[in-house]
Amino acid sequence: MRMLRGSVVAAIVAVCVGVVIGYQSARPAAATPNPVVFVPTPGFYRNFSPGVRASVADVYWLYTIQYYGEHLKSDHRLDSLPAMVRLVTTLSPHFTEAYFFGAFAMIDVGRPDVAYALLQQGFKANPGNWRFPFYLGFFAYTYASGAHKDQVAAQWYAAAARLPGVPPFVARLAAELATKGNDTQKAIDLWAQVYGQGDTYARQKAVSALDGLLPKGTVAREKAVAGLKGFVSPALFDQFIADLFQGYK
Amino acid sequence: MRVAAVAVNTFRETIRDRILGVIILFALAMIVASLWLASISLGQQDRMIKDFGLVAISLFGLIVAAFVAASLVRKEVEKRTVFIIFSKPVSRSEFIWGKFLGLAATMFTVLAGMTVFLFVLAWVVAKSPSGSLLLAGLLIYLQLLVVVAVTMLFATMTSAILASVWGICVYAAGQLSHNVLSLSRLGHSAVTHAASVFVFYLVPNLSAVDIRAAVVGEGAVAWTSLIAWGGYLIAYLVIALFVATWIFRRKEF
Repeated sequence: MRMLRGSVVAAIVAVCVGVVIGYQSARPAAATPNPVVFVPTPGFYRNFSPGVRASVADVYWLYTIQYYGEHLKSDHRLDSLPAMVRLVTTLSPHFTEAYFFGAFAMIDVGRPDVAYALLQQGFKANPGNWRFPFYLGFFAYTYASGAHKDQVAAQWYAAAARLPGVPPFVARLAAELATKGNDTQKAIDLWAQVYGQGDTYARQKAVSALDGLLPKGTVAREKAVAGLKGFVSPALFDQFIADLFQGYK
Repeated sequence: MRVAAVAVNTFRETIRDRILGVIILFALAMIVASLWLASISLGQQDRMIKDFGLVAISLFGLIVAAFVAASLVRKEVEKRTVFIIFSKPVSRSEFIWGKFLGLAATMFTVLAGMTVFLFVLAWVVAKSPSGSLLLAGLLIYLQLLVVVAVTMLFATMTSAILASVWGICVYAAGQLSHNVLSLSRLGHSAVTHAASVFVFYLVPNLSAVDIRAAVVGEGAVAWTSLIAWGGYLIAYLVIALFVATWIFRRKEF
């Protein structure tokens, strides 16, 4: 009798374990990821949970990454991603990586316009971070269309070059693009800036570019170079003139 | 001196509690679990470890504060050991203050341990030691002391379970206290406005400073704000303890 009771209990437990494991293992196969998911408005969390805003943002950040990975591998649709990134960045406006991730994710699904808007929003919230104008310049140059895209990109790079912590190559990039975009005066100013701030290599590049951009006549060149005093330190200015007037008498 | 004797005794009693050990183990496990969250955060290890680690400290600290504080007073009353204490030259206010200080010392030990553990974890794993983590631990401690005081106040009036639940509710309400005032401005009734303002002053403001956001680099918090908020929390818990003492003095056993 006792053995029978034990067998019945064991059978019930085995059936229950089977049901639990069967149900759970069937779930991933049954679930089809939906590209449109409910994302609460940032205002709800901003007003409702001032003490836990950053934590809510971090939870949504993990959710956003999961959503991105899931849909990039399956249907390649990220319909709710802008809303998710907006939620994370509104609750945590200085979470810079969220803007960059969101921007590049939107590129993955062919929405550079959304990526651009997201970076602009990030730059507004973090005006001291050079990476925002740098990426805005990169996106404008790579994904924008139209005759003025080089100039727009150059303007963003120039804005980045003015911010603290920026690597010297950004100013060079801005100058290169301004040259390419036929914005001569802007290009001259930026190359002078590169000369003033850069290393030996940057100065060689600047001299080479300025040589092509500045007027060839001695008087006109002297006049143009005089206007660049603000970009090069007085200690360096004599060398600057010497470099730009090589071969002139 | 008698307050100190009660406090020391309470500290010894609570620190030896097995439940406390289990809760601390769970908290440490949760803090370590933040490593897993960090690993799926796309390069945000530092931020995730700190943020979710502090969340774990707050939540488990809240459990300790609400449940231990409620049982401290009720247990003495229900087991009738309170008569033995009061047969000695210990007043009821000394009893309440001693109990509070003893639990405050226990809470300090527990929270300091968890915060230092998180600090070391952030240092070793994310290579990001941050003094603000220690400051955050201190502010969480102050928040939880308010919960301890309020829960002890409830424990002088009702059962231990109800006092714990109310203590947790006060913590939740404290996180939302500013909303009460915001909502009161939406209505046009003078009565509801007055009631909202009353509730706003009654409920402790536990969300005046978002310390977790400050730790993860979401803007700096001014020292003046921190000091003012700390002063407010201490003042609030002192009021709660005086009310608890006042009620406990009038209680007939």
